[in-house]
Amino acid sequence: MPREVVSTGNQLAAKAAIDAGCKFFGGYPITPSSEIAHEMSRLLPKVGGVFIQMEDEIGGISVALGASMSGVKSMTNTSGPGISLKAEQIGLAFMAEIPLVITNVMRGGPSTGLPTRPAQQDILQAQAPTHGDYQSITLCPGSLDECYTETVRAFNLAERFMTPVFVLLDETLGHMVGKAVLPDIEEVEANIVNRRVYEGDPTTYEPYNVPADEPAILNPFFKGYRYHITGLHHGPTGFPTEDAKLSQELIDRLFNKILAHKDEIESYEEFMLDDADIMIIAYGSVSLAAKEAIKQLREEGIKVGLFRPITLWPSPEEKIDELCKKFDKILVAEMNKGQYFKEIQRASGKKANEFETLFKANGRPISPAEFKAKIKEMV
Amino acid sequence: MRKQLRFTGVGGQGVLLAGEILARAYVNAGKYGVQVGTYTSQVRGGPTKVDIILDDEPILYPYAVDGEIDFMLSVADKSYQLFKDGVKEGGIIVYEPNLVYPSDDDKARWKMFPIEVITIAKEKVGNVITQSVVALAIATRMNNLDKELVYETMIKTVPQKAVEVNKKAFELGYQEAEEVLAKYSS
Repeated sequence: MPREVVSTGNQLAAKAAIDAGCKFFGGYPITPSSEIAHEMSRLLPKVGGVFIQMEDEIGGISVALGASMSGVKSMTNTSGPGISLKAEQIGLAFMAEIPLVITNVMRGGPSTGLPTRPAQQDILQAQAPTHGDYQSITLCPGSLDECYTETVRAFNLAERFMTPVFVLLDETLGHMVGKAVLPDIEEVEANIVNRRVYEGDPTTYEPYNVPADEPAILNPFFKGYRYHITGLHHGPTGFPTEDAKLSQELIDRLFNKILAHKDEIESYEEFMLDDADIMIIAYGSVSLAAKEAIKQLREEGIKVGLFRPITLWPSPEEKIDELCKKFDKILVAEMNKGQYFKEIQRASGKKANEFETLFKANGRPISPAEFKAKIKEMV
Repeated sequence: MRKQLRFTGVGGQGVLLAGEILARAYVNAGKYGVQVGTYTSQVRGGPTKVDIILDDEPILYPYAVDGEIDFMLSVADKSYQLFKDGVKEGGIIVYEPNLVYPSDDDKARWKMFPIEVITIAKEKVGNVITQSVVALAIATRMNNLDKELVYETMIKTVPQKAVEVNKKAFELGYQEAEEVLAKYSS
């Protein structure tokens, strides 16, 4: 039976983490994400899990990585400024292939910015939160229901691909209260993904000796399977190496393990696009205003539809290309100065002046009325 | 029928709870309710608004639309002045007369009802924290919402130890709204 609840997006993300099997949370409170931590502190002890509020953001991700290394599904939570602080440890997670779910409830930036107001200014940060070469997986819920389902998916993807996975909420979704319909708990549990475990002879265990498009197989620590963990370039056993071939293969594999399996990661919604003359591209809470505007515009006979990427990174580039070729009139709307717009241009090969845009970076949501006014200019 | 409500005050007054209860009540009744707050980074004292949308149909965009708001309750002048223009012409505004100072023009533009929300909570109920539930009861009466439904949802939502005091707050708020409506309609 689907479950009907009245909740905030932040509470739903926490509930999803528990249902997905998360047993450890390490973090530090920051507006507008703190309710996720608060809810985890309430829920984790009930399922035999551990919650630690650390001394700062860096400590928060560090303990979460340690917990993950011991085989426990683990999470940290923050807002944009916290991602900046966690950046170095995020790099270690990419490099050593440590699964971790990182929820970022976005607020206005840069720096401390607009702490209590919604924004989508961390889109490029989620793609490249730390130095070096790697591929990020970033999911972006567009409704209360998806604050739950995308957080569950984040845990499964983190375990499948042995990598940090970002879930980008924003202040609006994080704090709004409304009805959410969640999938049956048995259905969630039936689809849970657990990381692979090597069960052969411990003396021949090589966690990073895996096919060129597959993640490392990292057994939980303290179980008799010895290996090395490092942020340095490393070979099959995890010990550092500067070997040219191994270094290249390692970084190639960090890319390929994601890009060769895009079909397992990609997710998007096409809303009323079939007969549309104009396409809006929007994601996150902005898509709620877009849908409201689309419904109202259609009552006036103006046929508009929405393309909404749910997995932002890796981007659904083929779909973006296909749709941007199909539509002449496209409006891209974001609560930033056009961060994803860059990706849309890249994927479609179209130039900036072939799109209309609605960008806002003042901590105020984009309203249905603003969408309607813009679309009417385009008709 | 869509109803758009807005509660305004300053940070720390606890106006969020009333909105959450209304949204919950509508969902419990098989309808749709959404609440979303807007506040500032000041810990206390910043202007705060809480938008509540109630509808028989699903609600997508959670914020009330300025110019279409049916009802506003305000317990701080700073936020009253900032948010009053969101209320539609002829809409209802309930204000705490000790803290909110509407102009004569305002009184011509909207249906204005002074109710001492904070005084009721502090002196008649005996706990200032209950002002949120006093406000909830007033909003319920002023918008002709289902009293039993909201009341039952309130009992289920507030902390167990605070049920009795909030029952009193709800009854007093509702009664006050009845009285002020009777007085102003006569």
